[in-house]
Amino acid sequence: MFIHLNPNSGMPIYRQLFQQLRQRIVSGQLAPDEQLPSVRDFSAELGINLLTVAKVYQLLESEGLAETRRGLGTFVIGGHKTRSLTEKRKLITDAVEQVVAEAQHLDFEESEVIRLIHQRFEETKKKS
Amino acid sequence: MDSNVIETTNVSRSFAKSIAVQDLNLRVRRGSIYGFLGRNGAGKTTAIKMLVGLIWPDRGDIKVNGVEPARFTVEDRWKIGYVSEKQILNPFMRVDALVHFTSSFYPNWDFTACDRILKRFKIDPTKRIRALSLGMARQVAFMLAVAQKPDLLILDEPAANLDVVARREFLDEVLDLLREDGKTVLLSSHILSDVERVAEEIGIIAQGRLRISEPLDRLKETVKKVRFYGFEKGMNGFEISDAFNFSRTSNEVLATLRVENDSQLLKLAAKHRCQYEVIHLNLEDIFVEIVREPKEPT
Repeated sequence: MFIHLNPNSGMPIYRQLFQQLRQRIVSGQLAPDEQLPSVRDFSAELGINLLTVAKVYQLLESEGLAETRRGLGTFVIGGHKTRSLTEKRKLITDAVEQVVAEAQHLDFEESEVIRLIHQRFEETKKKS
Repeated sequence: MDSNVIETTNVSRSFAKSIAVQDLNLRVRRGSIYGFLGRNGAGKTTAIKMLVGLIWPDRGDIKVNGVEPARFTVEDRWKIGYVSEKQILNPFMRVDALVHFTSSFYPNWDFTACDRILKRFKIDPTKRIRALSLGMARQVAFMLAVAQKPDLLILDEPAANLDVVARREFLDEVLDLLREDGKTVLLSSHILSDVERVAEEIGIIAQGRLRISEPLDRLKETVKKVRFYGFEKGMNGFEISDAFNFSRTSNEVLATLRVENDSQLLKLAAKHRCQYEVIHLNLEDIFVEIVREPKEPT
């Protein structure tokens, strides 16, 4: 698998690898049920610490994008359809936190923010 | 077994009146690659020499594999491979003779590792040491340390004098050691881009003190340079007491600090009515920000 890593960027290597794998899984370049290289082989191929690869596989699992089958290896689950409700809720909570923090920073009233969110919902409904 | 291979507690060492190492608390986890960084004269080599029992600390407690270096037995020493900054190999010996000679001191000598490493680095074993380049001689010293089959390898500036390709080969070999045998490697280097590729944990020593010791990922994710600008009510009273670096011009502030989460910056910006921009740093940037003496205010 061709992966480009730049160890000298400000972004940790594990995050670079995670983002590239996630992008390939979500876009379908890595198909569901496809086997990922073993931690050992992949780390040797990329010339990085094997613990970094292990960490990335764990992250993919926690995001519901891959699973480890005991004794067989790590496999792609594929797509966002498989996310559990708690995972979805966590993602949306993170986004809300950001909006609220930004609103406080910019001195917006709570009601004003709610009105904007409502307006946005209406707009997207009209489009679809 | 202990999860830490190296554990030092408040270790200090002076030479005449100059303090080389002060209150060093170093923890190196078994099975990790630890990047030990510092400027020249920061105390790295003194610390390393104390770990391998070449010099004693004035104060404090050192445990390597659970044993105080002053009490190392021959068996304890077999478990520690050490390549010093200025390793001296007999210049008149052929590489193969040197391997044979050195092997006689170690019961678990690994001849296959020697062959593998010589092949990997393309070193002709029939050459004499004096006929090798400086970089190749370093590689031979590294090979000898690996072949004694230690569970801890301490490498002081192992990649100095190696060209880019040889350095990459060397790093792959270090990674293989970890991958195949779960060895622990403590690596001191000035070539931060190399350390950045392989190390999990980073220790930064400055003026004899350990300023940072933590996973590289955490370091990169939390140490940021932040530019504060657009102060609506002026910047009087804007201070960040625990910043690694802090400087200001007439209308902006540049600070290197630990950012645990975004709300920390949002709160700061809200309090002082300003905007900010986060600049991500790589290991070299972080290193410079942490070890550089603070600039005198102008």
